[in-house]
Amino acid sequence: MELRIANQQLELQNEELELRAQELLAANKELAFLIVQRKESTAELAIANKELVFQSAEKEKRAVELGLANQELILQNEEKGRRAGELIIANKELVFQNAEKEQRAAELVSANESLASRTAELVTVNSELESFSYSVSHDMRAPLRAIHGYARMFKEDYQSNGDQTGMRLINNIISNADKMGRLIDELLSFSRLSRKELVRVDIRMQQLVEKLFQELNHEHGDRTFDLRIGPLSPGCGDIASIKQVWTNLILNAIKYTRKTVDVIIQIKSEVRAGEIIYSIQDNGVGFDMLYAHKLFGVFQRLHSDEQFEGTGVGLAIVHRIISKHGGRVWAEGQPDKGATFFFTLLSNAT
Amino acid sequence: MTQEIEILLVEDNASDAEMTIRALRKNNLANRLLHLKDGVQALDFVFARGIYSERGIENAPNLILLDLKMPMIDGKEVLGKIKADERTKKIPIVVLTSSREDPDIKECYALGVNAYVVKPVEFDAFQHAISELGLFWMIVNERVQ
Repeated sequence: MELRIANQQLELQNEELELRAQELLAANKELAFLIVQRKESTAELAIANKELVFQSAEKEKRAVELGLANQELILQNEEKGRRAGELIIANKELVFQNAEKEQRAAELVSANESLASRTAELVTVNSELESFSYSVSHDMRAPLRAIHGYARMFKEDYQSNGDQTGMRLINNIISNADKMGRLIDELLSFSRLSRKELVRVDIRMQQLVEKLFQELNHEHGDRTFDLRIGPLSPGCGDIASIKQVWTNLILNAIKYTRKTVDVIIQIKSEVRAGEIIYSIQDNGVGFDMLYAHKLFGVFQRLHSDEQFEGTGVGLAIVHRIISKHGGRVWAEGQPDKGATFFFTLLSNAT
Repeated sequence: MTQEIEILLVEDNASDAEMTIRALRKNNLANRLLHLKDGVQALDFVFARGIYSERGIENAPNLILLDLKMPMIDGKEVLGKIKADERTKKIPIVVLTSSREDPDIKECYALGVNAYVVKPVEFDAFQHAISELGLFWMIVNERVQ
């Protein structure tokens, strides 16, 4: 019986041991599994570590770069600091210059204002002058006509009396009245010049000059000249005014060659730098270049009335007309060797 | 006036008038000329009023020589009034004046002037102009009868 209890006990213990063995097996499997897991984890950790090491290396590199960049920034900041300093100086300079400019602008504004008012004054004075010269010339005509008329009537009615002295005196009155009449006419036309508007058209200069010369020569003595005209470039201008210019210049050439034996008159044109230079040259009595600057003034003459009659307005008219056209006039001459008068007109192409 | 007036000269300046009449007389045109010194008298004459109310308005002068610059009524007004009236607008009017100014010329033609002549300063030219004028308007020109 004891054996049987002992066997039963042993069988129980065996069963327990078996259970425990099974438990241990299970625990072993669990352990084995855990160990495998841990190996995997370790492997992963190792990889992760390598990654970390790598990243640390990168971070170090980056830290170095940052360090360099920072140094760079510091340098740039210093530069900027310097530039800021320069800018401040430059700004002060600008402020100063601006103040100057404002002052100058203010001066300009007030200068402009005084210019404007002076211009307005000048315009008024000018138009008063023009209406003065117009009305003077105009109102002088009637009494002049009377003086001239009565002197002529006197001459007509009393000529038969045979009084030489009386006639000479009367003739003087008449010739002076004539002269005054011409003067008034020229003054009037001179004053009218500034009021007229120019009408610019193309002018066939060759034809105009040829025809005009014939007309003028016919009216003033029909003399023979060695006349050389052109070829003249066509020009652009106000026909009536340009005709007036040529009339005055041609009449001068005719007048001042009256004492010359073989008269040569040359009229030419030359195109230069966008303008046409017209010229008329004679071999008459000429003039001294010393007085050239007086030629184109109003009432300025270089010869006495006994030598050559004239009013001294003709060239002034030429000067005014050409100036209005935007051109220039000038003259060259030599005493007894003749004179050449030049004027320019802008070329059509401009 | 029983005698018909052929030429009416309206001119305030005595010297101009004398020279004009002298020139016309040289051409035998001044026989029936009336010289009036201002526009008021001229209009009275042409329209047969005032001291001229005895006139027949249809006895119009053959030519009126009219100065522009006159005191009181100036020439343009006279010209305008005569040319605006049916009864008198056929009378030839020649303006004879010192003024060569464009506006004056334009206005006169606008008012219907028949001719505009600028008085030359030079005596011969003046005489010549007047006699040409007179001969043309009195002899050459055909008038309404």
